[in-house]
Amino acid sequence: MVPALWAGLAVLAAALPLLTGNTYYIYVASSVGLLTTVTAGLNILVGFTGQISLGHAGFYAIGAYAAGVASVRLGLSPWLGVPLAVLVAAAVGAVVAGAALRVTGPYLAMVTIAFGIIVEGILVEWVAVTGGPGGIFNIPKPPLAQAYWVILAVAALSLILVANLRRSAWGRALLAVKGSDIAAEALGLSAYYVRIVAFTVSAGFAGAAGGLFAHLNGYISPDSFGLQTSILFLLALLFGGEGRVAGPLFGSVVLTVLPEFLTTLTDYRLILYGGLLLVSIYWLPQGLVGALAPRRGAARGRRGEQEQKNRGAGIPAERARDDAPRRNGAGAQDADKALLTVEGASLAFGGVAALANVSMEIPVSGIRAVIGPNGAGKTTLLNALSGFYTPDTGSIRLNGMSVAGRTPYAIARLGVSRTFQTTQVFGGLTVLENIAVGVAGPRLGSVLAALAGTPWARRADETVLRRARSLLDAGGLGEWVSRPADALPAGLRRRLEIVRALATAPRLLLLDEPAAGLSPAEIAELDAYLSRLKATGGPSVLLVEHHMDLVMAVSEHITVLDYGRVIASGTPEAVRANPAVIEAYLGAAA
Amino acid sequence: MYGLVALGYHITWVTSRTMNFSQGHAVMAGAVVAFAFYVGLGWPLWATVIVTLLVLALLGVGLERVAVRPFFRAGSAAWLLSTIACGIIAENVAMLAFGRDARAFPSVLTQKPILVGGAGFYAQELLIPAVGLLLMGGVQLFYHRTAYGKQLKAVAYNAEAAGLMGIHIPRAVMFAYALSASLAGIAGILLAPILNVAATMGSIIGLKAFAVAIIGGLTSAPGIVVAGVGYGLVESFVAGYLSTGAREIVGFALVVLVLIVRPWGLLGTRPPRRV
Repeated sequence: MVPALWAGLAVLAAALPLLTGNTYYIYVASSVGLLTTVTAGLNILVGFTGQISLGHAGFYAIGAYAAGVASVRLGLSPWLGVPLAVLVAAAVGAVVAGAALRVTGPYLAMVTIAFGIIVEGILVEWVAVTGGPGGIFNIPKPPLAQAYWVILAVAALSLILVANLRRSAWGRALLAVKGSDIAAEALGLSAYYVRIVAFTVSAGFAGAAGGLFAHLNGYISPDSFGLQTSILFLLALLFGGEGRVAGPLFGSVVLTVLPEFLTTLTDYRLILYGGLLLVSIYWLPQGLVGALAPRRGAARGRRGEQEQKNRGAGIPAERARDDAPRRNGAGAQDADKALLTVEGASLAFGGVAALANVSMEIPVSGIRAVIGPNGAGKTTLLNALSGFYTPDTGSIRLNGMSVAGRTPYAIARLGVSRTFQTTQVFGGLTVLENIAVGVAGPRLGSVLAALAGTPWARRADETVLRRARSLLDAGGLGEWVSRPADALPAGLRRRLEIVRALATAPRLLLLDEPAAGLSPAEIAELDAYLSRLKATGGPSVLLVEHHMDLVMAVSEHITVLDYGRVIASGTPEAVRANPAVIEAYLGAAA
Repeated sequence: MYGLVALGYHITWVTSRTMNFSQGHAVMAGAVVAFAFYVGLGWPLWATVIVTLLVLALLGVGLERVAVRPFFRAGSAAWLLSTIACGIIAENVAMLAFGRDARAFPSVLTQKPILVGGAGFYAQELLIPAVGLLLMGGVQLFYHRTAYGKQLKAVAYNAEAAGLMGIHIPRAVMFAYALSASLAGIAGILLAPILNVAATMGSIIGLKAFAVAIIGGLTSAPGIVVAGVGYGLVESFVAGYLSTGAREIVGFALVVLVLIVRPWGLLGTRPPRRV
């Protein structure tokens, strides 16, 4: 029914020039199309990756001037000029993103504002190319109805491309980076790279709209591309609903049509924008689309459960594990060699030594545990092993290769996966999609293929989702498939994190207090799960845990840390009897 | 010169990890209010300064209430957009009340330019860095030497723990916003004679001040003041030798450069990565 609705809307929009001869209406509708195109692209950056740009008027301007210069000064046809505008805007976007995305959040917002002002400055100053403050005249103008149809097609295409992207591995990666960039990095994704791609693609969309704008108006000048325009873009997106595929369309319609009704109030335009912005932040955090379809997520969740019921619960839990340790094959040949070697690692924060001369070895299989009182440096050790911290001195070697100082995602790609003490599930994604992020890891394919939704990209994606599905069933999360991950209760979040980490098919799995906050029954399940993992040839596991019963039950070897030093190391029995350990825990001389 | 405005970002940032993205509009408000009382109503300068600071402090408190407090806890970036929204509303209100045209703000210190080696400048332009340094010293003393200042820093470090220690967090954040807006008011009064007063003067001042805050380091008041002076000098050199248009381009290019080399600013402290 919903596709039929969209199709009807599209036909109606396309028929507009036949229904009315009023050029004003067609022009306004064209403006809606342009704004939709820009905000659809901006949605990729703001809605999916959670980064705010207040400089997209700059890319819009670059697109407009590229098309203007191409047609007026180089004599190219608009059919060449507009694609050229897309390329130029995307190229500039990539360069800007490379520099600006060193920072995120409020810093990025301000850097993008600065970018917009620089572009505006260049437009005014570089008279030979841009015509200076006067702009460029006499840009070829096709008949209005034709221009409108092209703009409409581009706007519809933009929405389709973004919908394709959202369904792809790229879309999941973008939302994963928004949900938790550290967890995304622990799965092998470079948050920096993913954000650059999102920024570049969104700049390309703005460039397309800019190019069309030049040909729609026949005249461009720097006035159209100020900070206010950037704010308008963002406002249209937020008002419509960021992260929602249809959000840009709704926001664009309202933000284009409303000021046209209020032309007598031009002097109050900023108050209108500011007020609408406040309204959407206060009362419409999901935008118009979110407010109009509040129960859509719930309905989808129910449908997922239904699917699950239809499938039946008859999937053998172990079957899915068959190919999990695929990367382990190489390592398993020399089983007596250590997988990971830490030698003399020290790390201090200010004057506090979090790790002092720590040495340990992790074999290619089995479960090892690290225990110690609060503040003993256990999590710091895990952070050092997974690349979030770099030790001041000492070495960390994975299969003989030094990994100290490498980025978390590089280490993750070498087969080290981890969970977090405070769970880091990707809230914007469903449970299934969370696991699919782990399955795909850095293998995202081409972003252009993801946008176009090519059959090849879709097939690859189906494979990823199928595998995620089997891991999810094996992990006992089957009934939660299409629920948003942040709707999971705490215990299941922990399990989701473990399944997601295993989805990368790691050689080494680092678990940071997986039993924290679990009920005794859930801990028993975790115990069984870890034992099963070991029995089925899963990866080597390093467990940081406070829960002694669990540690003693599952691990073969325990390392005890206190004040950053290794104070004992050995079998569970030996460690339990060690006087230094007893003293560290009870604070009494044994 | 921009250091003074940039200090306003610093004050709210170290207290609440939020800031008024429309700090420049607060400067504009300061200039407009001062103009209204000093030129419009003919009040003496000292009374104008006091009233302006009071009005701005109230605006700061109001901004905190409307645009920051609802989002402080949520940990979202909504405050960023809501302060921008308030800023553009303020700009529009000022434009309606004040008109579109820029107006000159008389000052005894801008009567005669002082000539040094061919470059002319006003005494007023010397006053600004002097006041900036003085206020920076005051802010530093306040944060490091007084109990309340230390409390504000504690809020910045860990709001929850500070709250448990009996610090009234909403009041602390409100105070920071009032202080920040008052500083912007002072900057508005000082800059008015040089730049002329206009409703649209805010954005660019705010942006350059933010550039200065990034270059100097948002967490470092001395860094911000040093960067402010440096930025001002670079700007006037570029404007003198190249063109006024190149001034903006070079200035913001500088920011990008600093962000690539030291994202936490020249004198700022590198934030620890929380995992």
